[in-house]
Amino acid sequence: MSAAPVAAELRVALAGNPNVGKTSLFNELTGSRHKVGNYAGVTVETREGAVAARWQPTRSVTVVDLPGTYSLTPVSEDEAVAFRCLHGDEGPPPDLIVLVVDAANLARNLYLAMQLCELGRPLVLALNMMDVAAEAGVPVDAAALSRALGLPVLPTVARTGEGIAALVQEICRFGQVPWDMAEVRGRLFGTPLPAGLAALPPARARWLVAAQASETLGLTGATAEERAALAGVDAGELRALAAALVIGRYAEVDRALAQIGHRGGERAPAMDHSARIDRVLTHRVWGLLIFLVVMALLFQSIFAWAEPLMGVIEAAIAWLSGQVKAGLGPGLFTDLLSEGVIAGVGNVLVFVPQIALLFLFIGLLEDTGYMARAAFLIDRLMARVGLHGKAFVPLLSGFACAIPAILGTRTISGFRDRLVTIMMIPFMSCSARLPVYVLLISALFDGEARVGPFTQASLVLLAMYVLSTVSALAVGAIYKRTLLRSPTPALVLELPPYRLPRVRNTLLQVYDRTADFVRDAGTVILAMTVVLWALLSFPRPPEAVRAGDPVELVAALESPIEHSLGGQFGKLIEPALTPMGQDFRMGVAIVGSFAAREVFVSTLGLVYGIEADDEDNQPLRQALREAKAADGRPRYSPLSGLALMVFFVYACQCMSTLAVVRRETRSWRWPLLMFVSMTALAYAMAVGVFQVGRLLGY
Amino acid sequence: MVTVADAGGGGLTLRLLEMGFVPGTVVTLVKRAPFGDPLEFQVRGCHISLRAAEASCVRTEPA
Ligand SMILES: Nc1nc2c(ncn2[C@@H]2O[C@H](COP(=O)(O)OP(=O)(O)O)[C@@H](O)[C@H]2O)c(=O)[nH]1
Ligand SMILES: [Mg+2]
Repeated sequence: MSAAPVAAELRVALAGNPNVGKTSLFNELTGSRHKVGNYAGVTVETREGAVAARWQPTRSVTVVDLPGTYSLTPVSEDEAVAFRCLHGDEGPPPDLIVLVVDAANLARNLYLAMQLCELGRPLVLALNMMDVAAEAGVPVDAAALSRALGLPVLPTVARTGEGIAALVQEICRFGQVPWDMAEVRGRLFGTPLPAGLAALPPARARWLVAAQASETLGLTGATAEERAALAGVDAGELRALAAALVIGRYAEVDRALAQIGHRGGERAPAMDHSARIDRVLTHRVWGLLIFLVVMALLFQSIFAWAEPLMGVIEAAIAWLSGQVKAGLGPGLFTDLLSEGVIAGVGNVLVFVPQIALLFLFIGLLEDTGYMARAAFLIDRLMARVGLHGKAFVPLLSGFACAIPAILGTRTISGFRDRLVTIMMIPFMSCSARLPVYVLLISALFDGEARVGPFTQASLVLLAMYVLSTVSALAVGAIYKRTLLRSPTPALVLELPPYRLPRVRNTLLQVYDRTADFVRDAGTVILAMTVVLWALLSFPRPPEAVRAGDPVELVAALESPIEHSLGGQFGKLIEPALTPMGQDFRMGVAIVGSFAAREVFVSTLGLVYGIEADDEDNQPLRQALREAKAADGRPRYSPLSGLALMVFFVYACQCMSTLAVVRRETRSWRWPLLMFVSMTALAYAMAVGVFQVGRLLGY
Repeated sequence: MVTVADAGGGGLTLRLLEMGFVPGTVVTLVKRAPFGDPLEFQVRGCHISLRAAEASCVRTEPA
């Protein structure tokens, strides 16, 4: 094996299947001081941290937590990233790989050990969950396993920290241990490769064969020569070879298990307990009922429980901006600071409660193992749209707010499927649209009119939610068949044993995700708020207007917002708004609402010179209801209100959403497509509603 | 049931093989999801859920 490197710093990569305790081990090793990283191009998270002093490492060791994968075969980005990182295709490879395995489930876990063995890099096995294995009646003899595989095996219990000191010592002995699974590797390499591929590094050649057989060569970054070499092999032969390689690896796993006296996992000892729980939780009646309750709770938490916290943040921001105004006196700089910068910070922070709560929920559901059951229960319905069961939670969250929902798509593997879900989410009617619907419905619809037992108003509101849901599903189906064409992702989902969650690990993840949002998407949202503030403030109206009594003058003349660039744009597009039954005032409000939909209400208030907020907009409703057009007819009708609501169902009027989509897709291409397509669709639908309504005589 | 071989080829077959559905392995059907699909199997000490369409790639014979 390679000699100890000159550099004192030792880089160790943690690899392993999902749910084996990798994150727990990482948090134990590093004392949870770490930074979150990302691989270029894709948002596969990696975390990096130094081994904490309490383990008394004899040298400085950095640990990298890789995404959990069942294998290194590039079926999705996660595996591709893991392989490239371990093989050294992305910068220098780690000095040492620590493979974390679930001791209670060696029959499947050791498969990854065989693939890592092919890499030929120094490898240490952390035999985690020793407590679970012992309890389930399948204790593992670490020394015997070590002999059977030919590499160091260290028993650990990541949950309690047991065995970690010994693991750290073993890591620090790097370079002095000659074991490298040479015997096993010799047998694994016994399967001959076609001539054209024999010249490649053996692990990479096998990796490319698997990629070619599963038609995912695009994920591998294969060179032209490699592609040519693969193309030279008959497709059927290649598939047979890929299968033979897998079978050969499992044969080695079985050999090692036989050697330590384990029979090849016909039982699932660690699942005995969970299977009993599943009799209820995936039961055809109780299971579905509990699923509904859990999802209702999740939804309630981001829809309602986040509200008080958001209120506190909004109040704090308002207070701060008031202090700034009072302290600095009126002026341009004060406005920039209070209405641009501070408001921008507020626009970022206001999402934090929802994001934190959603990730708290997702974290707990994943840690306990329920998330997999939820996907299992709902997959049938999601598969109809061509999506994975795991897309359900993010889509549902979209009804509360698109921002956390889009961040929540990280649980979906496969970039295309993630992207389809991301493109669907903004169509879900988020809570910010509600104040707009409520304002328009209460202002323009007859509150007394009833259809059967229901009021007309509630039916209109319901119709908006149905329309948004149906549209989201339709859009998903369309993307799935056109731009992001891909087969319905295979389910192949492990239902892991139920475990009590560790709150500390979940909270750490909540912190990571939230901090990541504030840092990355936050800066874009802040910048956009400042730009939008400038657009809606400049040029300023003549002094006389501003100095006068705001309500009267503004109503009579022109409000500052109308005078601004944004306002003038609203007027400019009035001819385009007429076909959807709107006038320039609505145009100005629509432009303003691009900051966030709920701003529509206050912007419209500004145009009408009325202070209005979400809760109390009685005067504004009155003004809308009584506004008359030049010919003396009412300016707005129920039909124009309906058209405007339909516009809001479809329009992507939320720069924060666009900022987050850019963050998650790492390019402006998708947010741009999202904005343009949604706005065009919104316009077309609103015009359609208004014109058809007119034809029908409304 | 004992796995005989994976039908077809390509990515799904490979994925199933890697999840432990290798020839000669004992596979047990644990249950069906409430809507009839997907299915839950026990294989190599794990519980794995597959859609019926995916499961049809795995040929089995009674043990
Ligand atoms: N009993 C026991 N539970 C563990 C051990 N290591 C991790 N866990 C639990 O297993 C679950 C999954 O752990 P996690 O670290 O998130 O696994 P990862 O998916 O591999 O990162 C969590 O609920 C942990 O608390 C262990 O050694 N013993
Ligand atoms: Mg983890």
